[in-house]
Amino acid sequence: MVDDLHPRIVAVLQELRRIPDVMAVALARRDGLLIAHVLPKSMDPKRIAAMAAAIVGTSEMAASEMGLGAFFQSIVDSGHAKMLATGAGEEGILITMVRTDANMGLVLLSVGKAVQAITDLLERAAVAPEADA
Amino acid sequence: MTGSGEGDRVRTGIQVLDERLKGGFPRPSTLLLFSDKPTEKRLLAENFAVQGASAGETTLYVDFFRAPTLARAELSRFGKYPADHLVMVDAISSQLMVDSSEAYRIKDIDDLRGICDVIVQAIQEQKPSRIVIDSMEFLADHFHKEAVLDQWKRIIDEAERVRGVTCFLFINWTYHERDLSAIRALSDFVVEFQSSMRGGILRNSMRISEMEEGGIRTNWIPYTFKDLVGVTVYFPRIMVTGPFNAGKSTVVRSLCEKSISIDRMGTTVAFDYGSVNITGIEAEIFGTPGQERFEFIFKIFAREVSGVLLVVDASRPEDFERARHMLELIGPRIPYVVLANKTDLAGALGPDAIARKMDLPEGTPVVPTVATENKGVRDALLILAEMIIGVR
Ligand SMILES: Nc1nc2c(ncn2[C@@H]2O[C@H](COP(=O)(O)OP(=O)(O)OP(=O)(O)O)[C@@H](O)[C@H]2O)c(=O)[nH]1
Ligand SMILES: [Mg+2]
Repeated sequence: MVDDLHPRIVAVLQELRRIPDVMAVALARRDGLLIAHVLPKSMDPKRIAAMAAAIVGTSEMAASEMGLGAFFQSIVDSGHAKMLATGAGEEGILITMVRTDANMGLVLLSVGKAVQAITDLLERAAVAPEADA
Repeated sequence: MTGSGEGDRVRTGIQVLDERLKGGFPRPSTLLLFSDKPTEKRLLAENFAVQGASAGETTLYVDFFRAPTLARAELSRFGKYPADHLVMVDAISSQLMVDSSEAYRIKDIDDLRGICDVIVQAIQEQKPSRIVIDSMEFLADHFHKEAVLDQWKRIIDEAERVRGVTCFLFINWTYHERDLSAIRALSDFVVEFQSSMRGGILRNSMRISEMEEGGIRTNWIPYTFKDLVGVTVYFPRIMVTGPFNAGKSTVVRSLCEKSISIDRMGTTVAFDYGSVNITGIEAEIFGTPGQERFEFIFKIFAREVSGVLLVVDASRPEDFERARHMLELIGPRIPYVVLANKTDLAGALGPDAIARKMDLPEGTPVVPTVATENKGVRDALLILAEMIIGVR
């Protein structure tokens, strides 16, 4: 089970990547280490993982500081594209890059589905016997 | 058993280890690559074989699981090597009734004595400096224990005669603790392997113990594998921390070829990040902000920390208390080295004075550095690496 976690996660990321206008997808851990990615060669996945963790960590902190309730997602809205950093369970951050003019309804729905799948996979891996070796 | 000079050692190719092993494993010697679960221990054996062959040493590889063409293709992921320096004992072709161009072939896989005759013949004729038996559990699963142990000893004796270093791969499925201690006692070094999953990331590590009294015993050494590079020691996170303006971002920049700093108006507001790859060690370096108002950043990154580079401005003893506090934020029992930075400035304190003023535990390394001139920074990282893997 634990051995095939990585390919299963990559499959979820690839499925999300196939949604129109989704440019790149990665999964980072909350502490900034990379779990898996389907990013173009021009992006450094490890750096992006670290930045996403800082963005999410800071956003969560801001949300709690301002009493906004539980954190769900940070969006970086820029010139050509948006970057969505979505909490995926206790451990994960799903990073999705989409073109500015994307159909956000479809994107958010697909991100939500991917988050659910990843949360399940990570939780199952955490209870596998190797988890605390 | 041991001697001096290059020819008496075979290098592992992992430099920090080779240094500690005075140049590599002594010739002859017997290694047991052991785990009680299937792990990636074959990686180390393959790395060891290709290191030998590419250095021009004759290496014998006994493979019970893969056809030689497949084995050779997989071995070439560890780097280029001259094919004739890697001699295979082929246990598969005869079973599949296919032709083989390998010099040594096992004809009858149900005949333990015959199998070991081929191995012994190959050892005698080739006089290899490295021998890999992949793996002993294959024999342990198919034959009686006493007979297997006898042949095990026989291979060790033959290898010793040609002064080879033999790697026995072994997963224990069936043997009892008493047999295991007998097997350990046949070995000079035991290398154990462990894989663990933490938050979706799989980590592999190994630990080397010399069986001799007072011999080497390392900590769990995390490692990674990359095509064509082979096995390297891998630290997923080295934290660079310390008080405001001490030179943390400069340290990260000088260690890493490519790095990023999220700085605004000269001070770090989020983090610094870069990766290093020196002398068989790969590490991800994370620098923290120094100012107290960004302390929440620690909570994000201070997990699975392999070690800490604590940077202090050697000319500002008034900040030392803060430095100690930052170390505590990262957590207890994590190896650390103090970088006495900016030693080029007038009034910079020496390492001893800093150790005293900071009230550091006996033996804590304090390394003088000038990060802007790239002085001492690498040494500090190497010292930290040795502390983490337990060879210092
Ligand atoms: N003279 C001297 N200056 C140094 C040295 N190392 C760093 N500096 C300078 O010290 C200043 C602060 O360096 P940084 O690397 O930004 O320090 P920092 O610890 O990351 O600072 P914060 O992130 O704000 O806490 C810069 O002007 C550096 O050029 C050194 O070894 N000698
Ligand atoms: Mg800085």
